[in-house]
Parts: sequence; structure tokens; C-alpha cells
Amino acid sequence: MMFGKPPIPGVNSKPEQGFAVLKPFTATAAGAPESLLFSRWLASTPLWVWLVLLASIFLWPAVAYSASGYAMSDAFQALFRWIPFIVKGGFLFNIIISFLAMLIGTALGVVLGLMQISPNRFIRWPAQFTTQVFRNSPWLVLLFIVLLALPYELEFGDTIIRIPDWMKAVFGLSLPIMANIAEVVRGAIKSVANGQWEAAESLAYTRQQTLWQIILPQCFKRMIPPWMNWYAILTMATPLCSLLGVEELITLSRQAIEAENNRPELLVPFYGFALLIFFAYCYPIARATIALERRYAVKL
Amino acid sequence: MSLKKLTMTAIAATVFAGISSTAHAACTNDVWNKVMSRGKVVVGVKADYKPWGYRNTDGSIVGMEIDLAQAAADAMGVELETVAVQSSNRMQFLEQGKIDMMIATMSDRADRREIVGITQPNYYTSGTNVMAPKALGFKNWEDLSGKPVCGKQGAFYNEVVTERYGVEIVAFTGNAEAKQALRDKKCVAWVYDDSSIGSDLSSGEFDDFEMPLASEDDNPWGLAVPLAEKDCVFGHFMSGLTFNMHQSGQLIELEKKWGIKPTSYLADKNAAYGDWLADK
Amino acid sequence: MLDVFIEFFKQFAADHPRWNFIFFYEPRQWARIVKGLQYTVWLSIACVFFSVIIGVVGAWLQNSPSVWLRRFVQGYIQFFRNTPPFVQLLFFYFALGQFTPAVTGPDGWTEIPIVSNVGWAIISLSLFAGAFNVEIFRAGIEAVPESTQEAASALGFSRLQTYKEVVLPLAFRVSLPALNNNLVNLVKTTTQAIAIAVPELLYQCVSIWNDYPSALYPTMLLLFVSFIALVGILVFGMHRWEKAMQIPGYGG
Repeated sequence: MMFGKPPIPGVNSKPEQGFAVLKPFTATAAGAPESLLFSRWLASTPLWVWLVLLASIFLWPAVAYSASGYAMSDAFQALFRWIPFIVKGGFLFNIIISFLAMLIGTALGVVLGLMQISPNRFIRWPAQFTTQVFRNSPWLVLLFIVLLALPYELEFGDTIIRIPDWMKAVFGLSLPIMANIAEVVRGAIKSVANGQWEAAESLAYTRQQTLWQIILPQCFKRMIPPWMNWYAILTMATPLCSLLGVEELITLSRQAIEAENNRPELLVPFYGFALLIFFAYCYPIARATIALERRYAVKL
Repeated sequence: MSLKKLTMTAIAATVFAGISSTAHAACTNDVWNKVMSRGKVVVGVKADYKPWGYRNTDGSIVGMEIDLAQAAADAMGVELETVAVQSSNRMQFLEQGKIDMMIATMSDRADRREIVGITQPNYYTSGTNVMAPKALGFKNWEDLSGKPVCGKQGAFYNEVVTERYGVEIVAFTGNAEAKQALRDKKCVAWVYDDSSIGSDLSSGEFDDFEMPLASEDDNPWGLAVPLAEKDCVFGHFMSGLTFNMHQSGQLIELEKKWGIKPTSYLADKNAAYGDWLADK
Repeated sequence: MLDVFIEFFKQFAADHPRWNFIFFYEPRQWARIVKGLQYTVWLSIACVFFSVIIGVVGAWLQNSPSVWLRRFVQGYIQFFRNTPPFVQLLFFYFALGQFTPAVTGPDGWTEIPIVSNVGWAIISLSLFAGAFNVEIFRAGIEAVPESTQEAASALGFSRLQTYKEVVLPLAFRVSLPALNNNLVNLVKTTTQAIAIAVPELLYQCVSIWNDYPSALYPTMLLLFVSFIALVGILVFGMHRWEKAMQIPGYGG
């Protein structure tokens, strides 16, 4: 791409935003518009918002429609009884699924992102097609497809590898992550100034060398904040697996509610707790993301 | 090569024909021997269907079917390990060997018998019924025609009831949501197994509700061993155990222990299998 | 012509037991799919429409002189961006649904709520996407230099007039790419309405493959293709809109 006519925004290619009278549109960082919005907002949440949220969670059972004499305190006692179980056996799996999906998704996404900028169109087009397909599919549909169509065991000669449900969920979630990370990689590479490519070319670097020794090391820092942002989004999406029976936080919360006789007063404490624990996990990540972004801000 | 294997395995695994040996093949008793040598039997049970299988706060699964599994493990002289299964994956788990036996509120149906080894006699039964508010006074199934009825996604009778009586099923992902919607008066009834409805009603928290209609499609439940073991040691053992538990009245005791409304099914079986020397 | 189509798929189902395209030859299943598609399209259109309105209004309120109004918008945004939409839907339908006025049905017991589950799905999803839109429009508004706004004020425009006639048109055009992304996300998120039993496409497909396990692969294929098509149409429409909204002389 860079070894043909270099695109100069505003001259021989589309300007960055097309409006010379306006200031830059700064909701973005390192490429795609949604790359950091989530983390930014999560990190900048003032404390009083969470106090209001907590208050509304406590307030609700007090005015709940109640058919029997089940009081709000009973509902919360029930919640506290079940917390060790649903955290150890449930939320732990959410974290494991998110780790592994991020790992696999990143590995595949980097490869896909590099394929997207290849000068060879037979590599570029399938890569672009794959990225667009997986970016534009609903995550829930992808999960359903992967969990139901993937076989439950793989045969390699004599060894049989069994794939548990949560592993299938990992594969299912890694697909959209792969596509989004590919976009992050592509955006980061594009954000490196053209001059670098030209200088490398004039110093007789091959394309491979330029990419791996000059461009990518610079991109690495720029990719970290959006990458962490996607990890937070992925973690928030892991409860979708509960619709397919994977044992994670929401599934176990449902089982606990069933064991407590399905009282309606339990719905808000249990789901409210789910929200809080996700927040407690994602908030430090969001703050770290913003701190890293400030540290690695590109000074031009 | 591995992709081809993948496809072949996928096709083979999901075809509804029995992959394993037919009834005429010699018994190798692989799973039985594995259980015996390991000293542990892994049984798949429900964890979200009170009181047949549900969770304890320490994470263990308890319930009537777990007691049944425990009786089997005791008779075999091995330890019991329970694994939570769901309707969508219980047969798969048994096929792939993740569990050795399955007792998970599964309705005994012809197409299922081709995949897993359902033993006879059946240990329980249930039909389709609804939980409706007393205030509405439903008498027949036809009264529900055109009305919104809450249900659980995936239940086979949702479609049956829709086709037969023209009800409008609103299917939720879980029973908690469906019952909550009923309490919120968003639907006129909740359609489910009559045994589960019965146990909910007897728990005393649904005093404004009743189960007024006649149960339809009474369908016995089946416990299952791997298909290859059905006519071998494991299958015959479970058949015998179920028979004995009917005869001795142990199943009726378990029903009482877990607060399930007494059914005529167990009483009838107890009488039918009666020991002719019992009262002599 | 239609009969040939139907016969072909019946034959196909007989020859390939795992690929039973039952919704192509059985009218009942076809009706389900059509209903599901209708609900998905209706949900998407309604949510896109309302979320954009919420975004515009919210961005306006964020610059209001009143501290409490600003805090209210902040709180709204934080709540909807930091919680999973899946759980938001459950909350809205079960928790808030209890407080909405309801009309007693003809049988004297049912309460037909003024807001049905589809209504709650629209409300919840619009508020969810609207929270993101407020940020997008706010960034667009910030891209308009103060000098332009001061010039408008010097010409006698009131705050509302400046916003409506000067700031909003420019901010809107700048935010369009980011808005595009967000609306695509919204269309994909409508599948989560299955949690409150909204009979949209995913719900109908799940019902079909629960009743007919042999139709599992065809329904999944249908789902995949339908959403790619829906998103494709939306993206195409947004590109056309972007082109139409371009200021002549800018944009290369």
C-alpha cells in the first residue's frame, strides 16, 4: 500500500474529516471511533453514580410486589448465602472465558490485521471479507452457531480431545474479537506516518523488515488502550453464554434462584450483584486503560 | 486431513442413527467396567429443577433424582459424583462419555431411545398442565385459546399446545422469568410439567394459583445408560434397581421426602409390581 | 413456480437429513420466520430512531447551565454504558414493568400493561444506544469552534437557535461515521431481546430448531445471512446519507 502513491489527506485522498473549519473530532483514539469510548466512560464514572445505583438496588425490594411475607432482608440473606458458590463456580468461569477468548482472538486478529494490509489482493480480500462478516454479526448468533455446530470431540488419529461447553464459548467469542482486533491493528498501522515507510524504503528495507522492525514496534503502544477496551467489552458480553447453558455467573444465579423457590424478590438482588461484580472487575481495567493511553499518547 | 476428520466427526456425531453396536452385538461392558475399576460413577442430573435436582449453597446438587443416583451407587459399591446437565446437552454428555448415566427429568420418547439407552421400567411420569390464577377459573384447555401463556424456551409441548388449542406461547429463557411474568399478570397461565407445577403449588407460595386442567400427553420419564450398555450389565442393573424401588415403595418414600405431590403413577406401579409373598 | 421451489426443498430435506429447510416448505414455520423478521426490522428501526433523538436531546442537555440537569444526563450515561444490555433488558421488563400502569383485561384478572415486552425492549435498547450517541454528538459539538458559536450569538441567535441552526448541522455531519458504527452495534444487540421473550428472529429460529432438530443448520444459516443482510442495508443507507450530507467543497 505504501509503496505506491502515498495518500496525502486533503490533497489526493479524503481529508480526515472533510471540514477545514472544524476542530478535530476527538471521541476517538488510535483509530476506530468506538475504540476507547467504553473504557473512558467506565473510568471516569464518578463515585456518586455508583452510590445511586446501589441505593436503587436496595430500594427496589422494599417496594416490590410481594405475594407472601417474604421481606427484603430475606432476599438479601439469600443472596449472601449463595455468593461464595456463584462467584467461585460462576464468575471465575466468566474470567477464564474472557482471558482465553482474548488470547485466541488477539492471536488470530493480529494475523488477520496484517493480512488486511497486504499488497496481494488475494490475501487482502478474503481477510477484509472475514473481518467485515465477523464484525457485523451479532455476538449472540455467533455463539449459538459455534456452540451448536461445533462437535463435542475431535479425533486426531488415536487421541480424542473432548471440547467442554465453556471451551466452545471461548471459540465463539474469540471470533468477533478477532475481527475487532484486526481493525485495531489495521488502524494502528495506518496511523503511523507515511514518512516512516518512505524512509525505510529509501534505506532498502524490504516490506517485511519495515513492518516488523519499524512500524509494528511503534504500533504496539498505540494498540494497548483499544485492546484493553475490547477486553472490558468482551467481559461484559460473557453472560450471553448463559443462554446456551454454559456454567457461568448468570446460569448459576438462575440455579440459585430456583433453589430459593423462584421468589420474585430475588431477581433484583441477584442480578444487581451480577452487575456490581462485573463493574468491580471492569472498572480497574478501565482506569488502567486510560492511564496507559495518557502515557503512550503519541506526541507528533 | 484434520478438517475432513472434523466434518466427518460432526456429521457422524449428530446423525440420529445409533453409532454404537446394535442389540445383537456382544456386550463389552466398557462403561460398567470403567465405573467399577474407578470406584466412582458419574451421573448427570438437573441443577435447576426443584425438587428433582437443585443446588445447595455449598454448590452440591441435591434432590429426588440425586437420591435415586445415590441408591444406584450404593448398590454398585462405588462413590457418586454428580454433574449438572441441561435439557440441551444431557444426551450429548452421555454419548461422549462425560457422564456414565443420566437421571435428568428426561421424557422417554422414541427418537431419544435411539440415541441413549433408556431403561425400563420408567421411574416417574409427568404430563403437560398449566398453573393459572384461581381468579380466572379455567376449566378446559380451550379456555386458553388466543391468550398469552408463559412457558420455557425449548419445551417440546409449547408447539403441541399452540397447535392444538391456539394459545399464544410467550417463551422465556428460564423458569424464574416465566413465573415472575405470571405473577406480574403478563400472561394468564404458565405451561409446564404437572409434577413441577404440583410441587410449586404445595410449597405454599402460590396460594392464589391452581392447576385446574386435565394433564395432557402424560409422558413417563426415563433414566439412561449409554446405548451400548442398555442390554448389558449396566442397563439390566438399572432396570432391576428401578423395579425393586417401585416394589419396595422406596420411590414413594422419596416422593414424600422431597415434598412432591403424591402421584397415582407410583402407587399404581407399587401395586402392579407387588410381591405375592409380601403380606403372607 | 413456487411449487417447484417447495418441492425442491422437500426433496433436499429427504436427501440430506441434517439440512431440513423446513421453513421454506411448511407455511407455519415460514410464518414464524416472517414474523421474526418483522419484529427484528421493527425493533431496529424504532431503536435507531429513538436513540438518535435521545442522543441529540442528551447532547443539548449536557451543555445546559443547570447543574442538576447536567448531572442527570451524566448519571443516565454512566448507568447505561457500564451495565450489560442483557441485564438492562431484564431489569426494565421485570423491575420497572411492575410500576407501569396497566389496563385490566376483559377477564378481570390479567393486566395488560401499557408497555408490552416489545415496548420495553425498544425503550431499553434505545436508552442503551442513546447513551453512546450522547457522547458521539457531544464530541461532534465540541468540534465546532467556539468562535462560530460566538459569532452566531453576536448575530442575535438564542442558545436554542444556535444549537438548532448552526451547531447541530455541523456536529451531525462530523459524527456520522461514529454514529454509523453505533447503530450497527444496536441492530446486532436487538437479538438480546430474546431474554424477555420478544419474538424476534433469533427467538423464532430457536423455537424452530427446538421443535425440529433436523432444521438446526438451515436456521443458523438463515440467521447469519439475515443479519449480514440487515447490517449491510443499514451500512449502505448510512453511506448514502453521508454522501448526501456532505458539504459541497469539502470531503475530497
